[in-house]
Amino acid sequence: MSLPPIFNSSFLAEAGGVSPALFTFLGYTAAVFSLAVIANYLRKDGNFLSEYFLGNRGLGVWAFALTFAATSASGGSFTGFPSKIYSHGWILGLWIGSYIIFPICTMGFIGKRLNQVARRSGAITVPDVIRDRFRSAGFGLLAVALIVFFMSFNLIAQFKAGSLMLKTLLSGVGVFESGVTLLKDSIGGSVDPAYLLCLCGFGLAVIAYTTYGGFQAVVWTDVMQGVVMVFGVIIMLPLALYLVGKGAPEGVGSLEYATSRMVDMSPPRRGVAVFRPDGPEGNRAPLGEGSWIRTPGSDEGAEARLFKVIPKLALEERLRKRGEPWVAVLEITSPGDRSQVIENQGDLARSDFILEDLELQGYAYGAEDGRKGVYVTGPGPSPSSDAGFLPLSLVISFFFMWAISGSGQPASMVRLMAFNNTVTLRRSIFTVAVYYSLIYFPLVIIFCCARVLMPGMDAESDRIMPAMAVFLTENVGAGWLAGLLIAAPFAAVMSTVDSFLLMISSGLVRDIYQRNINPEASELRLKRLSYLFTLLVGGAALLGAVNPPQFLQDIIVYTGSGLAACFLAPVVYAIYWPRSNVEGCMAGMLGGFISHLSMYVGGIFANGSFFRPYRLMDFDPIIVGLLVSFLAGYLVTLRTPPPPEDLVRKYFYKPEISTGA
Amino acid sequence: MNAPDNNQEPANAPWDPVFLESRREALVILLLWAAALLWAVPYCYLNGFPETFVAEEFSTVWGIPSWLFWGIAVPWLLADVFTLWFCFFYMKDGDLGEEAPVESQEGA
Repeated sequence: MSLPPIFNSSFLAEAGGVSPALFTFLGYTAAVFSLAVIANYLRKDGNFLSEYFLGNRGLGVWAFALTFAATSASGGSFTGFPSKIYSHGWILGLWIGSYIIFPICTMGFIGKRLNQVARRSGAITVPDVIRDRFRSAGFGLLAVALIVFFMSFNLIAQFKAGSLMLKTLLSGVGVFESGVTLLKDSIGGSVDPAYLLCLCGFGLAVIAYTTYGGFQAVVWTDVMQGVVMVFGVIIMLPLALYLVGKGAPEGVGSLEYATSRMVDMSPPRRGVAVFRPDGPEGNRAPLGEGSWIRTPGSDEGAEARLFKVIPKLALEERLRKRGEPWVAVLEITSPGDRSQVIENQGDLARSDFILEDLELQGYAYGAEDGRKGVYVTGPGPSPSSDAGFLPLSLVISFFFMWAISGSGQPASMVRLMAFNNTVTLRRSIFTVAVYYSLIYFPLVIIFCCARVLMPGMDAESDRIMPAMAVFLTENVGAGWLAGLLIAAPFAAVMSTVDSFLLMISSGLVRDIYQRNINPEASELRLKRLSYLFTLLVGGAALLGAVNPPQFLQDIIVYTGSGLAACFLAPVVYAIYWPRSNVEGCMAGMLGGFISHLSMYVGGIFANGSFFRPYRLMDFDPIIVGLLVSFLAGYLVTLRTPPPPEDLVRKYFYKPEISTGA
Repeated sequence: MNAPDNNQEPANAPWDPVFLESRREALVILLLWAAALLWAVPYCYLNGFPETFVAEEFSTVWGIPSWLFWGIAVPWLLADVFTLWFCFFYMKDGDLGEEAPVESQEGA
């Protein structure tokens, strides 16, 4: 088994002797554009906005199931999630625990009824439903404002995620590197030219096909992206088990062996070090990022120590204080991991340097001397929290976070308004349940195997997915396959970005322009405005992502949980509680928004950062937001007048009665 | 005004059957979520969060830590079976109605 030089920029370019990365990207983009053209060509006659933003409520089982699944499984599923599994071990199986019921909760809880209410009002967007259900233009505008606020931030973060992924994908590809050099000469050093080039490539591609094809293009590209994702996982699982099982003693299963290796693992230590060349200077290559260094143990007879030079960013603050000879390092602390690195690296591990100075820091939880089992039990190792990665309070929070807050995402709600009949809904819920079962638990297994096969990536665990794809395919002699596997996370980001883009532009064209400014606007004018706004919103997000905010994953978590805190309670009340009224549901929406936001603002004072929110009784802000939203909605509704009788009849009575009323 | 809490409506009740069925199905889903929470979290916490790790007491099933196997993996399969039953034997089909003309909306 050998480890590809993953920090050598050409690792992807060399996989399989061709350039699978570039091939994948071009082939993938071509397929996406083809689908957009077909979608545009097949667009039916009828109301343009309904078709452009909702597909005329005509989605069948496969389209509905896969667009729902692909939109929900954002880039995080294939970047952040594998990174967390690699960093914390088997505990991620519990972190993702509520995915066992995610499809039935997110689709079944409100799906059928929301679709019916949307049909009765002729609603195309979520704010449309809210406005018509309560006959309140103000409430509709509030909903638009919150969607645009949260989704704009999220869109910028997703653009950044997609661009970083593309950068990993194209690193070392000749044409790409030439483009980067050209760009670097023209823009100077203010922005990373490789990132900028990827942002333009990724951003323009998504904006173009979303603008041109509308909802149908997004749905059909989602279907393709969903298929790519599940195939990526299905191919990786047996490869990972096969390779990890190669080292297993006879009679011991692959996964059993991997888990037994994880029992003995201890978290690495991170810090800064100074290495001096050992002996006379020769043709000694400098220590670059990714270099491995073996040094003698501190005591005589002690085992050799093993360090890896990691990106400066990981410890920038400490390095800045010390200056040049210091480098950021990661020390492997488990004997089993050390052997694996030596086996992977062979002669590449350097022993021509001596350790002159060293300052290391262990994990806040899990690094105690002689401690075992930290990667196979809860709460899992944590570099920063002495309560561990997943204490009980967070286990409960995440049960709310995924299954409950997933039901409150407007992007999912739009899809629930788009299926054609209840048979489609029933079949799709089951399809998505099987689909997620094939993706999420296997991902936990694959990246626990990655921990065993590729030790030392803790500082760059965000890159574990592409690195593992290349490692697996190269070691079974199928490097060409790497491109396909790497396309999976790329597909996940794209499918989320296109949906969000359409959500924002639909809010502007339909909910603000058509319903508040110019109700008499012609079909042609609305069509042109839809194209224009989709283009403008995408362009603005692209510009925002040139200098993107630093805390990528944190923004995604904040906006996702914030949207759920704002929308779940009002929508549940609106469709299931005839007594609900505009005052109560607005109070629920605002209560959820303010309480959720206040937890994050509290984080500035309590923890020094907006993105380290204050946790009331150690629970995540989503719990507080949902509780306040449901409670405020309920109490205010009871203390305000009942809704007009005709509204209740329209949305809760049998159609023939409402017609007659 | 309150809707009836169960499906025992009189024959001439005005409530839309899709509304009543959807609400009943939503309650079943909420109960399922609660059951999943009440099984997975206590089971995993009691069996998978040891104060001190003793290697001899640690067990696996097919290579998966047994606390995770019984706490999440098996319930995951059971949840899929439940979903199958729910979707194909419990959830009712209903007429969701025709699309209301957009022109009928206020401000549209």
